[in-house]
Amino acid sequence: MWLRRLVVCCGLAFAPWLCLAQTAQNASLTLPDAPGVAQPAAPDYADLPSAPELNIEQAAEGGKNQTDQQQGQPQENQTPQNPTQQNPTQQGQPGSGNAPSLGDLGFTPQQTLANAQLQAMLDKRTHMLKIHQRLGLITAIPMAATLITGPMAKAKGKNGQSFTEPTQANLDFHAALGGVTTGLYVATAYYSIFAPKVPGSKRRGAIRLHRALEFIHGPGMIATPILGAMAFKQEQAGEKVHGIASAHGTVAWVTVAAYGAAIISVSWPIKLKF
Amino acid sequence: MPRRILLACLIFALPALCRADGQWVLVSSTLSYHMSHPMHQVDGVSRAAKGKGACHAGTCDFLIAAPVNSFDSGDSNRDLHMVQVTRGAQFPMVVVRTRIAEQTPASGTIYADLEVQFAGQTMKYNHVAFEKTTSGNEVRITGTVPATCVDFKIDPPSFLTIPIKNEIPVRVDMTWRPM
Repeated sequence: MWLRRLVVCCGLAFAPWLCLAQTAQNASLTLPDAPGVAQPAAPDYADLPSAPELNIEQAAEGGKNQTDQQQGQPQENQTPQNPTQQNPTQQGQPGSGNAPSLGDLGFTPQQTLANAQLQAMLDKRTHMLKIHQRLGLITAIPMAATLITGPMAKAKGKNGQSFTEPTQANLDFHAALGGVTTGLYVATAYYSIFAPKVPGSKRRGAIRLHRALEFIHGPGMIATPILGAMAFKQEQAGEKVHGIASAHGTVAWVTVAAYGAAIISVSWPIKLKF
Repeated sequence: MPRRILLACLIFALPALCRADGQWVLVSSTLSYHMSHPMHQVDGVSRAAKGKGACHAGTCDFLIAAPVNSFDSGDSNRDLHMVQVTRGAQFPMVVVRTRIAEQTPASGTIYADLEVQFAGQTMKYNHVAFEKTTSGNEVRITGTVPATCVDFKIDPPSFLTIPIKNEIPVRVDMTWRPM
């Protein structure tokens, strides 16, 4: 009899402890260790911020629309996180008893782990593409000037009629501008070609058109100076430009059009809003 | 005999009565940031956020997180630049923590104090308004977090030497369900 009562009393006394164990189990879900995966550093709980305290006004006011109150008042920045500790990126246990933790949400380690190497690659990529953008815009200036001075470097007159030779100054000026354009173009292309590629990223959006147009203005910028040199030689020899060299102008126009379209493709859509 | 059975049931049932008050899970979400430039208006959208909430003693703690590289603005080049400028490879997740009262009206405006971890910085936003609508056992929360580049020490990208605006508000649309 007394033994039975003792068992019952012990059961009732230990039941609350069982409740606490279950609550703790619910709150601290952690993913099992994956074999062969680098383990993140242990979280530093001193850096884990706790959830903000409840604003009693919110509970009291309920659904009333507080239009007269300022919304979203930012507070001063907290201490910046140490990138090597990476608290928000680590799986771990919750700082307070009930609050869920990042590990509870089910993100994979690949999604939450910091990657300093990738960040360095992205930094280098951005740096090179910024130079590419600047050089590309600068190149457009002598390119436009070369196009404008092109007709001045062309002999005028039809077959069977007397034709006017271009002056040597016009020819030299046009050739010099063409040379500067070619040099800047090559420098622009260098920064684009050798900017690091992010593995696994797929091109989407306007950048696809920008990259596709390089197959027009790229060969065009190779052919245009070659044809231009051939035309220059014929002009120097006192001949009217003929043969494939006569395509220099057309090739140059197509190249410039593709180059301009490439600039616009990464600038579009343009919506002026100041 | 019946008394013994009753006592035994009581002992084994007590732990079940002590379970956590309620838990919530994020069913679906759309987070979208807005970036403003004199020549461009860009919205980047993420639907990869995950969230959980735990309620106890009248208050609920919520945690919502999304990978920084899940935001899609329609241009992969721009998205990669966004990840770079927000240090998204070093700090891959944007995490939001908040605590609100468990008892709120079924529909209407609720106010929450948010703690946002992004780009290696932690920022608190007080009294952010959200609209709550209840449909069956699901709760929909919509609102805007007034984030800025300065808050998270982000160097504003520029186009044609003109930088983007400091304000990068994040529109939030979430549907929660009790677990």
